[in-house]
Amino acid sequence: MLVDLAGGWNPLVGRLAWSQIPYDNPILAPLFVAVVLGALMLLGLITYYGKWTYLWREWLTTVDHKKLGIMYIIIGLVMLFRGFIDGLMIRTQQAWAVGSQSSGVFGALHGYLTPFHFGQIYSAHGLIMILLAATPLLVGFMNIIVPIQIGARDMAYPYLNALGLWLTAAAGALIMISLFIGDFAHNGWFGYAPIFELQYSPGVGVDYWMWTLQLVALGTTLGGINILSTIIKMRAPGMTWGRLPIFVWASLSANVIALTSFPALQVALALVAADRYLGAHFFTAGLGGNLMLYTNLFWIWGHPEVYFVILPAFGMMSEIFPTFSEKPLFGYVTMVLASIAIAGVSWLVWLHHFFTMGAGPYVNSAFSVATMLVGIPTGVKVFNWAFTMYRGRLTFNAAMLWAIGALFLLLIGGLTGMMLAIPAINYMVHNSVFVVAHFHSMLMVIVYAIFASVIYWFPKVFGFKLDEFWAKTMFWLFSAGTALVFVPMYMLGFMGMTRRLDYVFNTAWQPYLLVMELGIVVYMFSVFAFFALLYVSIRDHAKNRVGADAWGTSRSLEWITHSPVPFYNFAVVPQINARDEAAWRRENGLEHIQPDHYDDIHMPNNTGVAIILGGLSFTLGFALTWRIWWLCLLSLIAIIALVIYRSFKGDPGYILTAAELEKMEQEAIRRASRIDGGHHLRPVRGDGWAQERADLPAAGTLYGLSSPMDHHK
Amino acid sequence: MQVKWRHSLKSGWRYIALAPILLLDGCAGNPYWIFNPKGLMADSDLFYLMVDVAVMGVIVGLTALLVVWFMWRYQKGKNRGAYDPSWSHSNAIEVVVWGIPIIAVGVLSWFAVKGTFEINPYNPTVITKHMKPDDDPVEVDVIATDWQWLFVYPQYHMAVANELVLPARTPVFFRLTSTAVTTTFFIPQLVGMIDVMPGMRTKNALESSHMGSYQGIASDYAGAGTSWMTFKTNILSATDYSQWVRKVQRSPVSMSYAGFNRYADPYINVHHKVVYFSSVQDGLFDHVIDEVMNGKTWPIPPMMTENMVGYLQQQDAEHRD
Ligand SMILES: [Cu+2]
Repeated sequence: MLVDLAGGWNPLVGRLAWSQIPYDNPILAPLFVAVVLGALMLLGLITYYGKWTYLWREWLTTVDHKKLGIMYIIIGLVMLFRGFIDGLMIRTQQAWAVGSQSSGVFGALHGYLTPFHFGQIYSAHGLIMILLAATPLLVGFMNIIVPIQIGARDMAYPYLNALGLWLTAAAGALIMISLFIGDFAHNGWFGYAPIFELQYSPGVGVDYWMWTLQLVALGTTLGGINILSTIIKMRAPGMTWGRLPIFVWASLSANVIALTSFPALQVALALVAADRYLGAHFFTAGLGGNLMLYTNLFWIWGHPEVYFVILPAFGMMSEIFPTFSEKPLFGYVTMVLASIAIAGVSWLVWLHHFFTMGAGPYVNSAFSVATMLVGIPTGVKVFNWAFTMYRGRLTFNAAMLWAIGALFLLLIGGLTGMMLAIPAINYMVHNSVFVVAHFHSMLMVIVYAIFASVIYWFPKVFGFKLDEFWAKTMFWLFSAGTALVFVPMYMLGFMGMTRRLDYVFNTAWQPYLLVMELGIVVYMFSVFAFFALLYVSIRDHAKNRVGADAWGTSRSLEWITHSPVPFYNFAVVPQINARDEAAWRRENGLEHIQPDHYDDIHMPNNTGVAIILGGLSFTLGFALTWRIWWLCLLSLIAIIALVIYRSFKGDPGYILTAAELEKMEQEAIRRASRIDGGHHLRPVRGDGWAQERADLPAAGTLYGLSSPMDHHK
Repeated sequence: MQVKWRHSLKSGWRYIALAPILLLDGCAGNPYWIFNPKGLMADSDLFYLMVDVAVMGVIVGLTALLVVWFMWRYQKGKNRGAYDPSWSHSNAIEVVVWGIPIIAVGVLSWFAVKGTFEINPYNPTVITKHMKPDDDPVEVDVIATDWQWLFVYPQYHMAVANELVLPARTPVFFRLTSTAVTTTFFIPQLVGMIDVMPGMRTKNALESSHMGSYQGIASDYAGAGTSWMTFKTNILSATDYSQWVRKVQRSPVSMSYAGFNRYADPYINVHHKVVYFSSVQDGLFDHVIDEVMNGKTWPIPPMMTENMVGYLQQQDAEHRD
């Protein structure tokens, strides 16, 4: 061993020992039993209904970007729920452990969580919410929507896409297993030097944290490469840069950030690993280490990551506002410029996460001004959404409500963000719950945009709409929870309450903490409403089927193909004529046009390699965490061998013949005309699907559409 | 003139900020420490906070009203405003939507830079510009351990654990470091946060003319004992302060380099124990930084607070209480 380890180690099982299983923990032990029983039941049900082959063929080995996207979103939602439970536990501890007279149970002096457990819970909460909930949810949406919006049949690299998913799944599995075997890091989601060094975190928690981050970073980087290549190389004819849907622009700028910033995180974490495994001194306080180097490296990734998650959310809002305002997006060009500007500035502001480090006033001033510059394009975006509504015809359905909620949260988050950008103010609220309230406002923008998108794009992916009543009920409950949790949190920030306290010394803060506890209970009800939403919508799905244009006022390209989208997306690659292609076709009476003939198409084969690589990566992460060297070596060799094998084998793909395609298309068209009662969709075969229509009003001038005709007259 | 303007802006804002608080808990003190500064540094922080909130509040507030108005006016089926399905561009509006944020950011940048220099922890002009040559500033060396604060007064060769006592109307200059891990030094009503890092030295300063007792906090997570790593800051009059110094100097306890090594072992200060050290070996602050840079650490036992109650019993049994 290159480093001294506290506790035992043996060659066979590394640091693993029975004492690492928290069977005496009154919270984890029952949870473990429940999880095992639940898993057994699920496996039993799959076996009983004989669904293993279906699961393997249709989902686990798929390279279809929509199915991968759906699985990304499922992972994201499961982890969102786990992160929410962590949040509930944090809030309960802080509402309980107030003042020296408060009671304590389960070995805690106050409340029910010892400092060590409390630290693990908020660290897991942060890491999960940002990297295993928000990131997979957004990557999932980009995966599903971007190829359809640009008229592609799949991603540029379908196999790489599957690999990204299964690496993310491996990361999720690794952080989940830390609940039941060993412990998790207590050093916050971003980690501090030197508290994560072996002397101050002797357990395996930091190792779990580090390898989870590595896996998710690798998965997201691969995903970023894929989405960028897809956008650059796979656009349908006529899909010029000036016609790219705004969500695609947002995805493009977000993934430029991902591609350039995630590697910095991976390097930083590799250096942490060198410290903890090899006894190096990159980030130790002594012997030549520099602990602030870690903080710099982390936030060089960490701040761009913030924009990596917020830009797609902005893109989602930019799709939803026009649809339900029945108008093109106001200021398309400035919106694109604003996205690129945000991405550009995002690399230049990382130091605002540690103004209190003690850098000189010139450094702090420079980063302060750079940070405020982000406010300019963000402000422009808000105004553009407002002016999209101006002179519109607004429908306040559930998707629109969530999007408007996101807009108002952005206003609050922007106001408080501009406060934090000024060092003189930052010194007073940095590391206080004010900061926590600020970045939750911003992350809530993402959550709101995601739920808006779930409602908005659900019918495109599954062919039926979600139930409006439960979607709205969930919105109002969720918003009440948001207000009850975060308004008191802002107030506590001005009272001077600092973050991450597992014991609250000031009893004057208790009333506010109790209101926040009430808020988290209201959040819990919104989670129930979400389950009800899924149940009711699936039960009534036959009544809520939709045609290609699910909302009747949709604008971008994904709305001209069938709902649900067939696995080949477009039977014939469409010709793009305008920026808002679906709206343009509707306005020119082309919405019924179907392709006049079909050709053979080339599709990628499924592969089991990606999920096996995911499983091996999980094994590698677990073995590294527990320092089981033989298993590390074995899984690493297997990974390398499999990657080499797959590279030489490649995938020739397969041909879907024109005849098969035509049969499936006829079926889809018949289904669609039944839903619409033959009224909305009268399929006409002819020019206009894949041919340029020079006879019709020209395709979009620089600003917006050039055809002002009102088809509702 | 500028001072007067600042003053009225401050009191006006305070009045508004106080309104909801007065409704909540009558006149029982102001729990909003950030709005109730008692020192020059915190005062200056609040001024910039108000400027920023004033500028951004107007923009954000008007934008919110604009959105609500559009939502009301253009709701489908209400026919309140004319529908224009193709309107998506206006040069005039574009100029305004870029212009407003650019102007706001420009104005705030000016204040941001000004404020950064004014309360620069290493040379806060808000304090130094008022200093007279015969002013005798107090120096305090702050050493954070896991999880206590040691305040060394090199001018008096004495130290106090977990309590900071300072004279009113006197500039105070801090040098700060830490033994084991990083945390942050914060007295909400007196001075903003500054990181304390092992093997490094940061600086901060404060000056207050308000006698009283103010809460000090370790505001960055430093491990199991962080929540109990608090200290009271008492601002005393000149006479009370010299009496207090004499009291500390009468303490039977003293601290050597070796004694410090034992003192710096992990200790959760749940009883808010305050210790006076009548004498301290000279150069302790620099000695600690040197030791840490040469690789000294104060490791934490594995799972130390897996059972917090049990750990505290053990801590008491070791007579470190
Ligand atoms: Cu940032």
